[in-house]
Amino acid sequence: MIAFKHVSKIYPNGIHGLHNINLHIGEGEFVVIVGLSGAGKSTFLQSINRLHEISEGEIFINNKSITKAKGNELYRIRRDIGMIFQNFNLVHRSTVMRNVLSGRVGYHSTLRMILGLFPKKDKQLAMEALRRVNIPEKASMRADQLSGGQQQRVSIARALAQEPKLILADEPVASLDPMMTGQVMDDLLRINQELNMTMVVNLHDIEIARKYANRIIGLKAGKVVFDGKADEATDEAFAEIYGKADKTSERMGMEQYERIENTANG
Amino acid sequence: MSRVRRISIMMAILCIYIWAFAGLPIVELKETSLEVISAIFSGLFHPDWGYVYDPGGEDLLRGLLDTLAIALLGTFIAAILCVPFSFMASKNIVKSKATVGISKFILSFIRVFPDIVLALLFIKAVGPGAFAGVLALGIGAVGMLGKLISESVESVDLNAKEALTATGANPIKTFMFAVVPQVLPNFFSFILYRFEVNVRAATVLGIIGAGGIGTPLIFALSVRDWERVGVILLGIILMVTLIDLISGKIRARFT
Repeated sequence: MIAFKHVSKIYPNGIHGLHNINLHIGEGEFVVIVGLSGAGKSTFLQSINRLHEISEGEIFINNKSITKAKGNELYRIRRDIGMIFQNFNLVHRSTVMRNVLSGRVGYHSTLRMILGLFPKKDKQLAMEALRRVNIPEKASMRADQLSGGQQQRVSIARALAQEPKLILADEPVASLDPMMTGQVMDDLLRINQELNMTMVVNLHDIEIARKYANRIIGLKAGKVVFDGKADEATDEAFAEIYGKADKTSERMGMEQYERIENTANG
Repeated sequence: MSRVRRISIMMAILCIYIWAFAGLPIVELKETSLEVISAIFSGLFHPDWGYVYDPGGEDLLRGLLDTLAIALLGTFIAAILCVPFSFMASKNIVKSKATVGISKFILSFIRVFPDIVLALLFIKAVGPGAFAGVLALGIGAVGMLGKLISESVESVDLNAKEALTATGANPIKTFMFAVVPQVLPNFFSFILYRFEVNVRAATVLGIIGAGGIGTPLIFALSVRDWERVGVILLGIILMVTLIDLISGKIRARFT
């Protein structure tokens, strides 16, 4: 489903974001990426749908190279990848329905989308997605009137409306309280099991990672230092992932760089 | 220290006041002043009701309608013209610093001209009449609207843009779904506000010959027809108040 071939990311200041990563993620897996902040989790995840460009190697989605895709081909591949963000990234002023429908824009012509004309089928799909995350009654409310947990559910519904083949989630629960965390993670697990949807989730919390993942990948300074089943991820393994980083200063530098680049990319 | 400073600031302000008042010419009432003032007031209280509607010729209603039409058309033209400028002047949308700089410069250049000056220029260009007024308001408003809207664009939350990109939307779709919905309420609110301003400006434009209710007003003033001046002023007050009221109500719903 997803294949990393010799993938490296070197930032212009010479720091390695990702270091020669080779791995394969199969259909229906629930993969959790763990690591310290600055270990390259976000870079790893966002390189899958090419929100981040990589500097070396190639990434394949269903045997198609997203690294070499251009224009419409790239948009077509991205359409099959749903994404959930730490800060939900909803359009606050639009209704929940419209936010969910925006997951469908990749399926229609530009002109049709400028006019904002969605077919009836799309609206049904959007309602169904909202039903799957248990908030169909919020469809006509403005997105910013919902609580954090509900907003994250809207963003999950938006990803579902895309009818994706896999879903990426970048720290989906980092800005939620523990109660909401459980609900949102349960939603993701249910979607993974009911629809056999491949999930790749960034988390920094070990307990949540153990509870939901069937495979855990540990990143440290851009390198894969652990890759195995959730029950193989012992405390010792986590100590290795989270252990004292040998180049603390370098990691700090990259953290800052990532933040700058994230703001620059919007 | 702070006390010395406070006293010296107060002294400076006092000096400026004294200097300013010293420059004033001595207020001097002409013998006719009182007479004229009382005539204006009596005109206001005894307006020429016959002028309100006159099926044969020029009347108040037609003048006000003209004014309204000038303001509406001017605002409409400005609303369309300001869109490309306001996006090109937003540094979070356009990456090229030169484009942003030039657009911002054009917008402030337009803002330099008061509406009256623009109207005088257009009267020379297209001749006196309502068309000159429409052009003056249409071009003049671009400066203000472009600035306000570009500031609103610069404050949008670009996280939604990232999400749209991730769904496979091309840049145009991303813009339509992530940026436009955030700017639209402000856009309409600014346009309505500018319409209020334009209605007021359009009443004055007629005085220099750019169409609207100002033309009969200046004629009535020059022949000292105070009853007519009174009815025209009442008409303007009523129209401006009504439009401010309605537009304010509508704008309140946008935010």
